[in-house]
Formats: sequence, C-alpha cells, structure tokens
Amino acid sequence: MSLVTEVIQNADEELRYPTPGEIRKFQSFCSTGERRIRIAQTLADNEKQLVERGSLKFWKRCPNTPSNSGNLRKTASCQRDQGWYIRLVAYCVLSGSEKPLADIGTIGMKEMYISLGIPLANWVEAVKCLKEEAIALLGEEDAVEVAPYFDHIIQVLAYPGAPYFMNNGTLEY
Amino acid sequence: MQDAITALINSSDVQGRYLDNAGLERLRSYFQSGEMRAKSAIAISANASSLVTQAVAKSLMYTDITAPGGNMYTCRRYAACIRDLDYFLRYATYAMLAGDPSILDERILNGLRETYNSLGVPIGATIRSVQAMKDVASDLIGTDAGKELGVYFDYICAGLS
Repeated sequence: MSLVTEVIQNADEELRYPTPGEIRKFQSFCSTGERRIRIAQTLADNEKQLVERGSLKFWKRCPNTPSNSGNLRKTASCQRDQGWYIRLVAYCVLSGSEKPLADIGTIGMKEMYISLGIPLANWVEAVKCLKEEAIALLGEEDAVEVAPYFDHIIQVLAYPGAPYFMNNGTLEY
Repeated sequence: MQDAITALINSSDVQGRYLDNAGLERLRSYFQSGEMRAKSAIAISANASSLVTQAVAKSLMYTDITAPGGNMYTCRRYAACIRDLDYFLRYATYAMLAGDPSILDERILNGLRETYNSLGVPIGATIRSVQAMKDVASDLIGTDAGKELGVYFDYICAGLS
C-alpha cells in the first residue's frame, strides 16, 4: 500500500479518473522521491547505531525492563524488534503512506506484546527513544518525513482501548 | 492491488530486508517518470470518450460486427461495447500510474474471457479494438508515454487471448 495505490483505489471506487488534486498529490510525491530514497537509505545504513543508542537511552529511563534484565535473549529480541520497526518506517518513507507499517507491524502489535508479557509502557518509551535518535541522526528537516511514523507506533500503543462500561446490576443494561 | 513501490516493499519484507540497490534504482526511475505518468493521466481523462470513439471507428465500425446480426448490432450491445472499452482505458491508466499491472488482473481480467465467451462476445474483435485504443492513446500522449501505456493494453490483450 502506498500513496499511489490510495489515489487509485479512491478513484476506482467512484469509477472515475483521478481528480486534479489527486494528480497533484501524485506529482509532488514523485518529485520528492529522490529525497525520500536518501532518507530511507540513511535509516538503513544507521539501523544498528540507532538501535544501540536508543537502547542505552531507553535503559537509562527505564532500567527495570526485560531487555535490561541480563537475559541476553530478551535483549536481542527487543533490539531485533526495534530494528524491524526502523525498517518499516523506512518502507513508509518510500511509499508515502503509513499503510506498510500498519499492515506489517502495528495491527495486532498491542495484543502480541501483551501476550508475550512485554510491558507496553516500556515499549512506548523504547520507541520514543528510537524516534529521538532518528531525529538527531537526520536533522530537523529530514526528520519531518520520519517522525510521524514513529508517532503512529506510539499512538497505537498509547491510545486507550475500547471504553469499558461496568454493569452495576440494574436492569437498564 | 500493487504498485511499483508496494511490490518492491513486499518482496523485501518477506526477507526482512531493506530495499537493495537494484530496488532503489527501480524506485528512482519510477519517481523520475512520475511527471510523464501524471501528464498522460490528465490527457487521457480529458479525452477519454473521444479516445473510445476513435478506437471504435478505427477497429470495429462498418465491419461485420456492427452490421445486422453482428455482435455490436443493436444499441444495447453497442453501448455495452463502448462501456467496456471505457473501463479498459481507465484501468490501463490506473496501471500506468501505478507502474504495475496487478490491478488489471484484479479488476478486469479475472474471469473476463469466460464472461465474454458465455455472452458470445468475440475475443478477436475485442483485442483488435484494444490495440486500436493503444494507437489512438499513444497519438494523444506521445511516443514515450504511449509505449509505457501500451504495455498495459498489451497485458489486457494477453489476458484475453
């Protein structure tokens, strides 16, 4: 899923050609392509460094967490996941859409981490650290292409779930 | 459906990798051809009905097919024919924007040959008219863009035959 697919699917739903506005969106998407390729490449080249620096920052803020428990397998899994999310953010930068991140990495993420026993609040903090490191690496100007996707991951976890109504036993419910 | 970008992302993701240099190079050339794709889509959408008319005039009009007993005889069948050509043109334009033919399979070609056969629509004449549309469209948008668009018209023909 990319910005191009979104435009086409919207048009197809209404059996029409893309509107001038949609075409303009497509044109500016293509004309910024070179810049987005460069940013994605920077992320790819610096994944290891981002994960290492992000982890150190994360452990400072959140010392009591599975990846810092001395269990090397847990540390490796956590850092592997961090690397994967950087990769998904790079996909999003290339495709101009948050859909790759959602399809591959955020739909069901909350449920998965809960079932694995990962403390969600800590994982949010870890993603925040990654985001800060990515901004530091890319500089303010390029970081605007990247930060919203990290925010997307954070929001998926930080939003409250469905409202929970308590049945107090009266018949109205 | 897929597009040039999604196709590359999906094939990298199943290996857990970033896009390799060859993939990035293909993305680069897709982005560089974006202006050409956008301009063609604008031109086609502004001239869609006249392109269909020209394609019909070039390939089907005044042949056996429009004579009494032919498959385009009766207004109802004629209308169905130009409606389908209109669809082919629109979906070929989508595919050209996407830089990937998968939308043609999904939205047009799956089951089309069987449908046409059961309705008695002649496949040969359909292919002839699609080829004619390729020619008139490429006259409109220019040779380079016409070549790219032609890929998707040929894809439709290959799926039909």
